[in-house]
Amino acid sequence: MSFALPARQVTFGRPSAYQQQHGLALPGPSPLGNPYTQLQPQPIAKPPSPPPQQANAIAGPSTPPAPAAVPSTPVPLTLEQQHITAVEGIVPTLQNIVATVNLDCRLDLKTIALHARNAEYNPKRFAAVIMRIRDPKTTALIFASGKMVVTGAKSEDDSRLASRKYARIVQKLGFEAKFSEFKIQNIVGSCDVKFPIRLEGLAYSHGQFSSYEPELFPGLIYRMIKPKVVLLIFVSGKIVLTGAKVREEIYTAFNTIYTVLCEFRKP
Amino acid sequence: MATAYYEFYRGSSIGMALTDSLDELITSGAITPQLAMKVLQQFDKSLADTMVKQVKAKTTLKGHLKTYRLCDDVWTFIVKQASFKMEQNEVITTPRIKIIACKNGDAIEAGKK
Repeated sequence: MSFALPARQVTFGRPSAYQQQHGLALPGPSPLGNPYTQLQPQPIAKPPSPPPQQANAIAGPSTPPAPAAVPSTPVPLTLEQQHITAVEGIVPTLQNIVATVNLDCRLDLKTIALHARNAEYNPKRFAAVIMRIRDPKTTALIFASGKMVVTGAKSEDDSRLASRKYARIVQKLGFEAKFSEFKIQNIVGSCDVKFPIRLEGLAYSHGQFSSYEPELFPGLIYRMIKPKVVLLIFVSGKIVLTGAKVREEIYTAFNTIYTVLCEFRKP
Repeated sequence: MATAYYEFYRGSSIGMALTDSLDELITSGAITPQLAMKVLQQFDKSLADTMVKQVKAKTTLKGHLKTYRLCDDVWTFIVKQASFKMEQNEVITTPRIKIIACKNGDAIEAGKK
C-alpha cells in the first residue's frame, strides 16, 4: 500500500477478531498519518459557514495535503477544517438535512393551502400541505396534527431557520403555532474520493456490512455500525453518506471508510 | 345535470354577453330566472367540452414562477416576465400573469369514479 493512510481517532465498529484476520485494523495513529490530526484539541465552536470549496480542489486522494491547509495560516483552524485535513483534503459536502418540528396546534390544512403561497394540498394523494420557500431553499410537509417535516436544507442552521420561517407562516395564517421539539432526523452528505473502487472486493471482505447487488443497484450499500451511517459507494469513487443525526457522524464515517477504500482502489 | 362545471367561463366576453342577454330577457319577462340558470349551466358545460374537444390552438409559456398553489384540484400560478409563443411564432410578453388551471369535464368525471 503506497497510500498515505491518515491517522484516525475513530474506531471502526467491527469485531477485533475480524480485523486481525483481515489485516484491516488500524489501531492508533499510523506512522504515515498526516500531522494535522494532532490539532484536535481545538475549541469545539460550531463554524457558521461550510468549509471553503478550495479544500476539495487542493488535493487529490494520493497527493500530499496542499500548503493551503497548513496550520500556519492566520485563521485558526475550525473543527470542520480539521476534518478537511484529516482525509487528504476531501470533506463530504452536506446535501440534505431532514428535520421535524412540532407546532403544537391542530391545523386546518385547507385554510393553509388557500392562503399561503407555494402550497400544494391534495388530500386524495397525501394528507399534508406541501409548502416551499426560496430562502433557505427547502420544502415542508405540514400535517393537520401540527407536526411538520422540513427537508432540503444544506446546513443545520438553514434547517432551523427554514423551520422557523414555516412556523411563522403558519402563525401568520392565524394558528397558535409554537416552535417546539425541533430535531434533525437525518443528514446526507456526499463526496468523491477521485479514484475507482473494486466494489466486489470490498463486498467480499466486508461482507458483514456490505450489500452489493449490481443487478439491482450499481452502488455498494455499506451499513457502518459506528457511527451508525449508511454509505452508498460507487465504482466511480463517488460516495453518498446518509443516516447521520449530526454532521460529525458523516465526517467520522467518511474518515473511517476512506482507508478501507484506499485498499480497494482499482489498479 | 350530473356534474357541476366550473363557472369561470361566465366571466369571459362571450359569457358576459350571454349573462346580459339573459338579464334582459328576464326583465322583459320573456323567460324565468330558472330557465336562465339552466341556460348558464349548459353554457358552462358546453364551453368546457368545446375547450377540450375543439380548441386545438397551443402556446408555449416561459417565465419565472413566482408563486403557485394547489387546492381543491385547482392550480394557481403567478408567473413573472412571462412570454407566450403562439403558433405563428408570435411572441407576447407580460410582466406578470396569473394562471388558473382546473380539471376539464372528463377529468372531473374520471375523478368521481
